Amino acid sequence: MKTMYAKFSLLFILSSLLLLAGCERPPIEAVQHGYRGTAMDEIYNPRTLAAQAPNNVVPASYPVPADGPKAATAYKNVKVLGNLSTAQFTTFMVSMTSWVSPQQGCAYCHNVENFADDSKYTKVVARRMIQMNQRINSNWQTHVKQTGVTCYTCHRGNNIPQQVWFTAPEQKQGNGWLGNKDGQNTPSQSVGLSSLPYDPFTPFLLKDGMIRVEGDTALRTDNKRNIKETEKTFGLMIHMSKSLGVNCSYCHNTRAIASWEESPPQRATAWYGIRMARDINNNFMVPLTSVFPAHRLGPTGDVAKANCATCHQGAYKPLYGVSMLANFPYLRGTDTTTAASTSSVANTAVK
Amino acid sequence: MAMLSFERKYRVRGGTLIGGDLFDFWVGPFYVGFFGITTVFFAFLGTAMILWGASQGPTWNLWQINIAPPDLKYGLHFAPLREGGLWQLVTICALGAFGSWALREIEICRKLGMGLHVPFAYLMAVFAYFTLVVIRPVLMGAWGHGFPYGILSHLDWVSNTGYQYLHFHYNPAHMIAVTLFFTTTLALCMHGGLVLSSTNPQKGQPVKTPEHEDTFFRDFIGYSVGTLGIHRLGLFLALAAVFWSAVCIVISGPFWTRGWPEWWGWWLNLPIWR
Amino acid sequence: MEYQNLFTQVQVVGPIHEGIPLDRYERRNRIGKPFLFHLMGRIGNAQIGPIYLGWLGIASLFFGTIAIQIMGWNMLASVNWSPIQFVKQLFWLSLDPPHPKYGLKLFMPLAEGGWWMMAGFFLTVAILLWWLRTYRRAVALGMGTHVAWGFLAAIWLFLVLGFLRPLLMGSWSEGVPFGIFSHLDWTAAFSLRYGNLFYNPFHMLSIAFLYGSVLLFAMHAGTILAVSRFGGEREIEQIVDRGTASERAALFWRWTMGFNATMESIHRWAWWFAVLTPLVGGIGILLTGTVVDNWYLWAVKHHVAPTYPNVFGGITVDPATTFVAPPPPVPQIPMQGMKP
Repeated sequence: MKTMYAKFSLLFILSSLLLLAGCERPPIEAVQHGYRGTAMDEIYNPRTLAAQAPNNVVPASYPVPADGPKAATAYKNVKVLGNLSTAQFTTFMVSMTSWVSPQQGCAYCHNVENFADDSKYTKVVARRMIQMNQRINSNWQTHVKQTGVTCYTCHRGNNIPQQVWFTAPEQKQGNGWLGNKDGQNTPSQSVGLSSLPYDPFTPFLLKDGMIRVEGDTALRTDNKRNIKETEKTFGLMIHMSKSLGVNCSYCHNTRAIASWEESPPQRATAWYGIRMARDINNNFMVPLTSVFPAHRLGPTGDVAKANCATCHQGAYKPLYGVSMLANFPYLRGTDTTTAASTSSVANTAVK
Repeated sequence: MAMLSFERKYRVRGGTLIGGDLFDFWVGPFYVGFFGITTVFFAFLGTAMILWGASQGPTWNLWQINIAPPDLKYGLHFAPLREGGLWQLVTICALGAFGSWALREIEICRKLGMGLHVPFAYLMAVFAYFTLVVIRPVLMGAWGHGFPYGILSHLDWVSNTGYQYLHFHYNPAHMIAVTLFFTTTLALCMHGGLVLSSTNPQKGQPVKTPEHEDTFFRDFIGYSVGTLGIHRLGLFLALAAVFWSAVCIVISGPFWTRGWPEWWGWWLNLPIWR
Repeated sequence: MEYQNLFTQVQVVGPIHEGIPLDRYERRNRIGKPFLFHLMGRIGNAQIGPIYLGWLGIASLFFGTIAIQIMGWNMLASVNWSPIQFVKQLFWLSLDPPHPKYGLKLFMPLAEGGWWMMAGFFLTVAILLWWLRTYRRAVALGMGTHVAWGFLAAIWLFLVLGFLRPLLMGSWSEGVPFGIFSHLDWTAAFSLRYGNLFYNPFHMLSIAFLYGSVLLFAMHAGTILAVSRFGGEREIEQIVDRGTASERAALFWRWTMGFNATMESIHRWAWWFAVLTPLVGGIGILLTGTVVDNWYLWAVKHHVAPTYPNVFGGITVDPATTFVAPPPPVPQIPMQGMKP
């Protein structure tokens, strides 16, 4: 029986090692977020963070004087940013090139024989994106605070941001009378490889689908939300978690997941982020559909759209919260005042 | 005294691990032993500390009392008493009490000439507790990762710990453990039911035999594991359930930091169908 | 190390046991030539078979097979009949309940829940027939029907989840999908929708009985193995004629925790813990959504929910109550010579 025990022990150890081979390893880093013992913590693998860090390095920039002749008078066909100085304008053009088209250079957007010419679609798109950029920084400070965004936040040196989404084509399944997946039950990266509905973006980041599912009364009253809708919301939440590299307890105390009193302030910031994404997609991206050529559109002919991952790319704040706007103040937009408070935490209401 | 009709002849000296005859006596039906003393000591001290902790908290409501572990910032050090140090002391008392209980069970087994299966099984459960409050926090670098001592608060810890991995049901070891839990319960119902059905037969019938038990299960599913086999199976299922539970939590954090659904990526990326 | 009686070292090989005789009619239904499987004999009995297959069993297997077929073919169809994709995506595949819009209608398009209804129906019939089988086989042998009644507790939970609760909620869409990951998604979504099921007192009780069952089986099985040297596993004999095995087993627990069961009563403890797990669990599920919409709020109302100090610098305000939508954006600038 000695050999029997030895055989079993060996089998056990080998199979454990096999199981662990698909895993990560300690040490890990944990950041406490909530009260002690509630387990509202962020768990990070330092090796994963290290691999992610190069993507979040803010490119170098320097301040440029705002005085001198204006770009609108110095150059032709300047529709946005006309009130920049020529120094600012040309610096911005160089920066934008390195942020969006470092390989193709100026020719990506411009006809190099006539820089004023609008013949390339990329120039039209870029113009609109500058307006979008300014809108985010001025009207969505509830989400981006004073940190704000630039083209680099999404593009990071790529023509197209690495994380965009298209509407998934209708899957042909079965013969139409069986095998209906109904938009879920498929391993999809969009919902972290779960079998939840794999397009949480169309209903919630394009349309204004209702995300809340819980009622606010203990006993049953008139809350008609159902389990399928809850799964859709859950899918969106998994996307948000993956996009920010955080877990559910970053925004929620899951013991009372719907309760705002129990939630950290990040949840309110995320709430604004969802509305901001809808604004971006509906008012800026979708109207550009006819401008993009076919090879830039999705399988159903729709334009690339933004979700949380587009900016965040796995970081709790894009570029770890470092602002690029100091040297690009004109990206704050023409209106830098906000009506409501930028902070969602009622500082006077500490209980 | 509170002795059963046949008990007297079994109350002999011997079997002790420590202390010889000094603590080899009974109080009522309870055997004492050296480890009975230590159990009472740790249990009393731990309970007293919990009560003191409750007095420092906002409520005496039994459901809401909460003794919380330290902040993560204290790492693996001792925290101030009111900042989680109390939790640490209660944990030490708990481990002392559980260990004493196990050793006392061993003494009782030795005295009764029994195998040590029960204390072994009990130690598996203690191992699961030890995993939760010692092994996993040490691997993660802070005592604060342990669970709070409170009836509802420990459930809040479970909820948030689960959601740290987005969808804990996808944890493969958790799946195995849950399956084993349900299977154990199924097997327990079947075993309890089977024995009772033999000794409480149809009206007017005599008590049945193990051959009847075997026949029932062979008729039912084609196989009967037998009177000895069912106890081996039951013990295995129960201990395996506890073991895989300990595994499923110790890998969450130290050996996996992402959502658990994502772990299944290795299967999807197998070369045969990538 | 001492032998622990975990694996049989010297396996006694005896004659095949054909089973307690049944009447001539029923005896025909025992099928399969029994054989001995040595490896099995190291743990329990080595004999495999015979099995009884009467009308109930055959009907149950028939309906059950149809149910599995419906699930399987739908899953295969959902990956466009590719066997490779079927294996690859197996854990994600599912047969889902109908869309909420069909309410409690009995018939809906096959691809929109019709197959789920059918699979559920056939599975339920199969399970109920199987239950009848457990009852009949016990009665045929003159035994009590405790196994059958225990099985019924599990069937109660099954019926609550797939039939009774959807009925009370007015929608088949509340039922559980047939799929490995998908039924786990259902479980998580159920708790998310109804305010955290940990705060459901029946859920708490059910878990107490679940863990209690595992605890009890470990205790009981460990005890029997520990006294197997005295013949403890011969439980029926020990019940009617208490021997030293039962006495030592009882005393172990009496001396450990102050009270004990008997060789018979421990099996009652066992049966009740196992039965109460799905029984109260089913009650908890049935009350969710029908009576209680949010278990956390229910717990707050009943002073059961603990409070934690706020460490976030203030209470987070629901933005929906204060949100002022930004004005419409500046219009898109048309290209030179191109329409906007």
